[in-house]
Amino acid sequence: MPKQKLSKSSSARGGGSSLPQRREEKKQSVGKVQIMDAFQVIAVPGRRQMLALLYKKSLTINALAENFDMSRPAVSKHVKILYSAGFISIQDIGRERHCILRQDGFRQLQEWINYFDGFWQNKLGKLEKLLNEKKSANN
Amino acid sequence: MEKQIMHTFFYPHPATTVWDYLTRPELMAEWLMKNDFEPTVGHAFTFRTSPVEKLAFDGIIYCTVLDLVPYKKLVYSWKTGPGDGKIVIDSIVTWTLHEKQQGTELLLEHTGIKEADFDMYTSLNAGWQKNIKKINELINTSKNAQTKTE
Repeated sequence: MPKQKLSKSSSARGGGSSLPQRREEKKQSVGKVQIMDAFQVIAVPGRRQMLALLYKKSLTINALAENFDMSRPAVSKHVKILYSAGFISIQDIGRERHCILRQDGFRQLQEWINYFDGFWQNKLGKLEKLLNEKKSANN
Repeated sequence: MEKQIMHTFFYPHPATTVWDYLTRPELMAEWLMKNDFEPTVGHAFTFRTSPVEKLAFDGIIYCTVLDLVPYKKLVYSWKTGPGDGKIVIDSIVTWTLHEKQQGTELLLEHTGIKEADFDMYTSLNAGWQKNIKKINELINTSKNAQTKTE
C-alpha cells in the first residue's frame, strides 16, 4: 500500500474563517494545557458525538455540521477544540477541509483508565491484607 | 481490549464483613481513602487522595450513592476533575458481592466515561492501520475528483 505522508499544507483561505491554523510546533510546548483539554473535550456530549461520527469516517466540516442542530460557528468552535486537544487533524483535500480522527487525544483517556485500573488492584490487595490480619487476630 | 476496569477478588470472610469494609467510612479509610460516605441512596460524598496532575485529577473524587442492596450490591458515581469542583470524567463504580461457602467473591466494575468512548479508543488502537489506509484512499480519490466523498 502506498505510504503517504499527511500533508500539513494549508491552502490560503480568506479571512473570517474561525478554523484552527496549523500550529504543530506550538502544541508541543503547551503539553499541560493540552492534557486538560483532552478530558474537557470528552466531557461535552456534542463533541463526543462528533468523535463518534468521525470514527466511522472522516468528514468535511460541512458534512459534520449537517449532523448537528447548532450554528456553523459553534461547530467550528468544537472542531477547533477537538483539533487542539489532539483528537482530530484537519486536512485540506481538494477544496474541502476534512476532519480526521487522531489517536493522541484518546491516549490521555487511556492513561486515566490505566491509572485507576492499577489503583483498584492496589486497593483491593490492601483490603485483602487487612481482612487477613483481622482474621488471624480473631483466631 | 478492555473497555472498563474490572477486578474480582475472593476474601475468606462472610459478606457481612466485606460489606462493612465497603460501607463504613472509618473502615473504608483503612484500605481505600478518607471519605464521608453514608450508606444511603442519593447521599453525596467525596474521597480524598493525592492529585495526579497529568490526569487532570485534583485528588478529590465526587461521588453519589446510586444503588445499594445490603450485603449484595453498591453503586456510586465517580467524578474527577482538575480542581474547583470542575468535573471532566464522569464514571460509575459498581461493587457486587457473592457469598460462597468459604468466603465472599467481590467484583468491582469501574465503567469510565461513556462506553462509546472506550469502544472508540480500543477500536482505534486495533483499526488504526485501516484508518490510515482510508485516509490515503481519500487523498488519492480526491486528486482528480472534487466531488464529496460522503
